This record gives sequence, structure tokens and C-alpha cells, in this order.
Amino acid sequence: MAPFIVVENVSYTYGARSAATRKPQTSGASVGRGTTGSAAPSPSTPALHGISLEVTAGEYLALIGANGSGKSTLARHLNALLIPDEGRVLVAGMDTRDVAQHPAIRRLVGMVFQRPEDQTVATVVEHDVAFGPENLGLPRDEIRARVRAALETVGLWDERDRPPHMLSVGQMQRLALAGVLAVRPQCIIFDEATAMLDPAGRHTVHTLMRDLNQEGITIIAITHLMEEAVHARRVIALHAGSVALDGPPDIVFGDATRLSNIGLGLPGAAAIALALQSALPDLPRALLTPDALAAALQKYAPAATSQPRPDRTHAAPRVPVDGGAMPVPPDSGPHIIEASGLGHVYMRDTPFARRAIENADLSVAESGAHGLVGATGSGKSTLLQHLNGLLRPQEGTLQVGQYALHDAATDLRAVRRLVGLVFQTPENQIFEQYVGDEIAYGPRLAGLDGEPLRERVRWAMDLVGLDFEGFKDRFTFALSGGEKRKVALASTLALRPQVLLLDEPTAGLDPASRTELLQHLHQLRQTGVTIVLSSHQMEDVAELVTHVTVLANGRSVSEGPVADILGEAHRLADWGLEQPLASRVARALQAQGWPLVPGIVTESQLVAGIRRCLELTH
Amino acid sequence: MSEFEFQRFVTIGQYLPTGSAVHRLDPRTRLLGGLFLLLAITLTPRLSGLALGLIAVLTITVLARVPLGYALRGVVPSLPFILFLALLQVLLGPGSAATTPLFSWGPIHISVTSLISGATIPPRFGGLILLLTILSASTSTTEMVLGLERLLRPVGRLGLPIQDFVLMIQVALRFLPLLAREAERIAKSQASRGAEWGTGRGGLLRRTRQALPILVPLFLVSLQRAEALAMAMEARGYRSDGRRTSMVALNFRRGDYLALLLSLIASAVILVA
Repeated sequence: MAPFIVVENVSYTYGARSAATRKPQTSGASVGRGTTGSAAPSPSTPALHGISLEVTAGEYLALIGANGSGKSTLARHLNALLIPDEGRVLVAGMDTRDVAQHPAIRRLVGMVFQRPEDQTVATVVEHDVAFGPENLGLPRDEIRARVRAALETVGLWDERDRPPHMLSVGQMQRLALAGVLAVRPQCIIFDEATAMLDPAGRHTVHTLMRDLNQEGITIIAITHLMEEAVHARRVIALHAGSVALDGPPDIVFGDATRLSNIGLGLPGAAAIALALQSALPDLPRALLTPDALAAALQKYAPAATSQPRPDRTHAAPRVPVDGGAMPVPPDSGPHIIEASGLGHVYMRDTPFARRAIENADLSVAESGAHGLVGATGSGKSTLLQHLNGLLRPQEGTLQVGQYALHDAATDLRAVRRLVGLVFQTPENQIFEQYVGDEIAYGPRLAGLDGEPLRERVRWAMDLVGLDFEGFKDRFTFALSGGEKRKVALASTLALRPQVLLLDEPTAGLDPASRTELLQHLHQLRQTGVTIVLSSHQMEDVAELVTHVTVLANGRSVSEGPVADILGEAHRLADWGLEQPLASRVARALQAQGWPLVPGIVTESQLVAGIRRCLELTH
Repeated sequence: MSEFEFQRFVTIGQYLPTGSAVHRLDPRTRLLGGLFLLLAITLTPRLSGLALGLIAVLTITVLARVPLGYALRGVVPSLPFILFLALLQVLLGPGSAATTPLFSWGPIHISVTSLISGATIPPRFGGLILLLTILSASTSTTEMVLGLERLLRPVGRLGLPIQDFVLMIQVALRFLPLLAREAERIAKSQASRGAEWGTGRGGLLRRTRQALPILVPLFLVSLQRAEALAMAMEARGYRSDGRRTSMVALNFRRGDYLALLLSLIASAVILVA
């Protein structure tokens, strides 16, 4: 059987054919690539460099790679959104260089993009789904039938009459998928389509991907999450515009060194397995999912009795966790943030009024690290924006440091000097030409000048691991995605806030950049800065914070030490969340009879816990 | 209320499905009727005509069940501009030679005529903004596209790119609220870094200077958004030269004839009143 898609020796450089490409891909606008989290390709370096590969019909393929490695660029060649400078792409035998074939190619290959709101063209859900079939020139009855089928597949039929912007982010992404399904393509490309979603939303999209693939549709999923890539049957890793690795997941993820060299990492389960190699040399290597890891560990279960002990109250000796476990300070110290009964309605007194938070409480200890978790639309960002006075409390009270924010007379500038907020994808808000100027913006407004300003910028850049001399005169638009994120973080840190609020700081970053960012945030904590982190990545929350507040539908529904909150699988699922991977594995192991202490949330805690169990039995 | 809610003031381009009688009309009726009223309000020379025009627009607002307070808020951001225009008209407007100026100073002559022509500006612009608000609140993009395409079909036979034009309008309308939201995000992010946004402080000059750091990223973001939208539409098979069909059927009923007739009469009355 002939392959469905053939990519032959394709090279592509942004801006190389400026007359031929209609994209605003000049130097300034190339900052735009930041939306997809990928690096701005400078005009001279090719985004793709002699890539060749074949995709067979019915495959389930994951495309991974560091920021700026060319994933999105490659994907856009597969449905003729981009045309190769050199080489060629064939889709079902049709050459993408032939413009006359484009309609037929796009009928075969559909694409779901990262940001749901960029994909909706209509102001009514069902009209939006109809857009594709309408472009095909189908008769009205056929369009209606397809729209209904597509909306039913993604579970949005009941929402068909609503405006898309009234949907949740997860629903909007399913709407985007429905719009693609209505065209009945043979292949669907998901370009980081789960990056903005909460765990429940991601799970729904994964299930849809798997079901569609079982119906024979070719799935190509671009992702930064290695946990997502392991579900594919084939993984292609790109590096600097070329294919670095290509094979089944167990082969690709078997090469940890190569992966880390190209800015990637192991899936959590494989990383844990690797860390256990020294204690358990005969542990199989290809353990990519928590289930596989738990199953492989079963035969080492130290409980001599082979039957599992589902009862958590049994009297087996508990092994204390050590190594990597963060001591949990009692949450009784002085609180720097104290919110009580906060409520906020956006667009109040208009037909678009939407309640974002209601009766939300939050207390954060001085120099503590606090996590905010909750499904998309649960009010995390709204709550964060109250904490530095961007939003004034409409209801309730809020005390931050010495400032009462519910009091209209409070000096908001002083509050914002005390509390810095780093927005989601902050690199989109960079506006200066040079890195140094961007970071100096805040301190300059605060009155710093000359040598003190220079020192402040240097200090902030050191904190995020940017070399002052090497970076201060670089152009902001020419930085990679990870570097831009660091500049944005440094530009807030340069104000020396005592409290740092972070909204989804790792979203859209590749594994290497994510690890590095988390390390810098750890170091920042050591300096006494209070951190409030909002994230969909439970692993990030587990790594960084000691206490967590859970938001659901705008209300604070639970609060407590991180181990307690993330330990309750069922309640987390009710809130649209899930346990971090290490907790899920720990739970499975406890069910097998491993005497692990409860409260394991990070990989290092799990590895240490397993080692202790093994030492006790041998 | 937050000082950052720019969206609150962007009412043009927001679809508000209330299921009212106005919403159930054929989009062509709304577009044509809106055009008649638009022309009448633009061209009527007298205050009495404008008063009637405003009454007509407010009546439609109520019929469309669009909250009045919300619709009027859309006029607020343009108010300084409108008042400035009115002032210019009063000070420098064409005072007819026949009328004696009430007040003269150098090139500035204030006469009864210039006062009146200045007074027509706020209701004229206010009425127009209100009309566009109601039109976009009652017409979904799909209806708008379909209605415009049908209405412009005769022009298309002359070889003009109708579909491109319609797409342009659709994208522009979709972008207004989106840009307001982006501007909001950027302003907030800069306020977090010490800019004088939303602190209720800073003089006019200072505030104007603050606008520049917003404009640069806003410009870039809107380019990105336009590119992303174009890409998503292309990926879903949109072609400007393609032959499209539509899921929504247009049918012109008796109510549409009646509404169209009413708007014609109203426009005529506004013009001659």
C-alpha cells in the first residue's frame, strides 16, 4: 500500500520566499511564533532542514521536539498551509506545490490548533461547525447531517445554539475538533491542541483521538507532554528542523541521553524506572505509563504475602519518606495574603456578565509556596489578578501585606511593587527591542537609573539564568520560546517583588526549559520570596509548593498541605483534575502491598520511598 | 468595576442572541433597513430629523431586547471625539454669511447656525454607533455573511471580489472584541510592572506615553491573531474564489416586507422632517 503522506527531503525557511509566502513573517512579526510556543526563526536559519518521512494511513503518530525544533512548521506542510522551499510533500499522491490540489488536500487532512479562540469563525456553535462543509459546497441537508454528527461525536450537540465564547476552553477545543470532523478528513493533526486544557479536558481529547484512530483516521499529535506522546504508536522527535528519532515509543523513549540532548525528557514513569535501575537492575526498560510501571514493580512488592492489601488501615510499618521530600512547614506563620469571601463578576451590568469567582478564600504564609489548582474557568486567573490589585474586590475582603485591597484608598502602585504577576504566555507582551530594555522597564518606572538600574537588571537576569553580558543587547524577537519566557520572568523579578504570582508558568515549554524554569523558581523560594502558582500540571504543583487551594466553579472548595490535597484521587477527579503521576503510581503500589507512606507527590519522593521499602526487605 | 474592562465599551461586533422579533428577521431585511436608517441619519440636515432618527433607533433597540444601558455604553469611548468634533463645528463651522455672528474673535465666529450644526453632531454620531451596535447584536456572523453575499450578488456579476469584501467585514467585526481583550491583557501585564494603568493616577501626557508600550504588542498580537485565523480558515478549506453553500436558509417572509417598508418610511420621514 502506498503511504498516505510522503515528505521528501523538505527544507523550509521563514521569509525565504517573502514574495511567495503571504504570511507576515518579517523580522518583527516573527515574534508571532510565540503563540505556538516555538522559537522565532531568524530569517537565515531554516525551520526545516532536509526532512524525509512517510506516514501510513491509519497511523497514530506523536510529533515531539524542543521549542523551535520545527514541529508546527512540519505539520503545516502536511496540509499545504506551507509549501516547501525545497523537496516535496505528497498527500495521497497529490503534490502540495500544485495549488489546484489544495482544496482536495485540505479535505483529507484537517488540523486542530493550540488556541481555541483563534479557530472559531462564527458566532453560533453550529454555524461554526458548518463552516468547513459550506466551503466544500455541500447541499444544505448534508451540511446539517454532518454538523449534527460532528457535534454529537464531541458531545456538544446540546450547546449548538450558544455563542462559542460562552463555552469553556475545553468545550471550545472540542468545538474546533467538531469543525474539522464535519469535513470528514482521513487525517487529523492536533497542533498542541491540549496545551491550554485542564487534566479532564486533556483526557477527553485523548479519548477522542484514540476512538477516531480506531475508526481508521490517521492521527498526528504534536505535543510537549511526553506523557501524551506515549499513547501514540509511533513517535517522531525533531531537532533543529531534522528528524532526530523515529520509532515506536518504547524505542524512542529508551534513549534518555539522546532525548535530553535535544531538549526533551523521559515520560514520568520512564524517568522513575530509570532512577530505580541501580536498585533494581533487572527492571524492564520500556515502562512508559504509570500502569506499566506499577505492573512491572509488582513482583518486587516487599510484602511477603502475595495478596494485595486494598485496606489502607492495615498495620504494616510505614516507611518515612526522605530524599527530595520537602518538609511541610506548619501553615500557622504570619500570612502575607489573606482573602476572604472574594467575589468577582466580569462585565457586570451587561448582558455578557459572567461570574468568575464567588466566596473564594485564600491564605498564603509569608515566604511560603502556595498552589492554585482547578479546572479551566474555575477562577484561578481571576483570583491571581486580585492579589496585586489588577482587579478590585467586588465582594469580600483582601489583605496583602500591609495593604487592604478592598479599601478604595489603597495605593495600588505600592501593592504592585510588593506583588509581581507573571501572566500566562508572558512572552506575548514583550514590547522593547532589546532584552536589557525590556527588563529595565519596570525598575526605570520605579525611578532607578544608571548603575543601580544596571545592577538590578543583571541581578534579575542572573536569577533566571540569562547571562547579562551575553543577552542584554540581544533582540527580543530573535530569542527562542524558552528564552523569551525567561526574559518575561526576569522583567517582573527586576521589581524585586516579595510575592511572585505565576499563571501557568510552564505551559507551552519543552521539557528541558520546564525543568530549568522550575529550578529557578526553587532557588527564588530559597531567597524568601513568597510564590503563588496556578497550574494545570499537577507535577509542577507537586514540585514547587507546600500548600494548595482548590477552586471549582469560582469557589474555594478545599485547602491544605499539598500531599493531602493531591492524595485524594476521587475528589480531584470531581474537580476536573488528576493526581500527579508519582501519586498515581504510589497508589497502585500501595494496592499491591508496598508499605509506602501516604503523601507521595513527586517523582523523587516516590523513588526514595520505593528504595526504602526495598532496603527494609533485603 | 475594573478600569481594565475595555471590552465593556466595545459593543459593535458583539452578537447578543435574545431571540427577539428583530433577530428572527431575514438578515437582508436588517442589513437593508439598517442601511436606509444609516443614510437617513447621516444625511438629515435638521435636529428634528435627528430626534426622530434617535427615536427610531431606540425603538429598534427595545424591540431587539438589547438592554439600553449596555447599548448606550458603546457610545461612551467615542464621546470625547464626538464632543471635540461638535466644538470644532461650533467654532469653525461654516456660519452662513446671512446670519450675524453672536460672537466673533479672529477666525472664530459663533452664530446660531454654527451652534445648531454643532448640536447635530452628538445625536448623529451617537445614533450611528447605536445603529451599528444593534445591527451586530442581532445578526450572527453567518447571517451577516450570507445576507451581504446575497445583497451584493448583482455587484459580483460585474467582477468585483464580493466574497473577499464580505470576509473582510466578518473578520473586522470578530476582531473588535478580541482586540479589546488583548489590549486588556497587555495593559494588565504592564500595570503589574509599575505602569500607571488602573491606579487612577497620572496626567493626560503620562497616560498617552503609557499607550505606546501597549500599542506595540497589540499590533504584533493582532498580526498573530489575523494570521492564526487565516490559517485556521484555510485549513478548513476556505477559498476566496470557492463556491460556498450555507447551512442557513434565507427566507423572506411577510414580516420582512413589513419591516423593510417601515424602515423605508421612517427613513423618509427622518430625511424630510
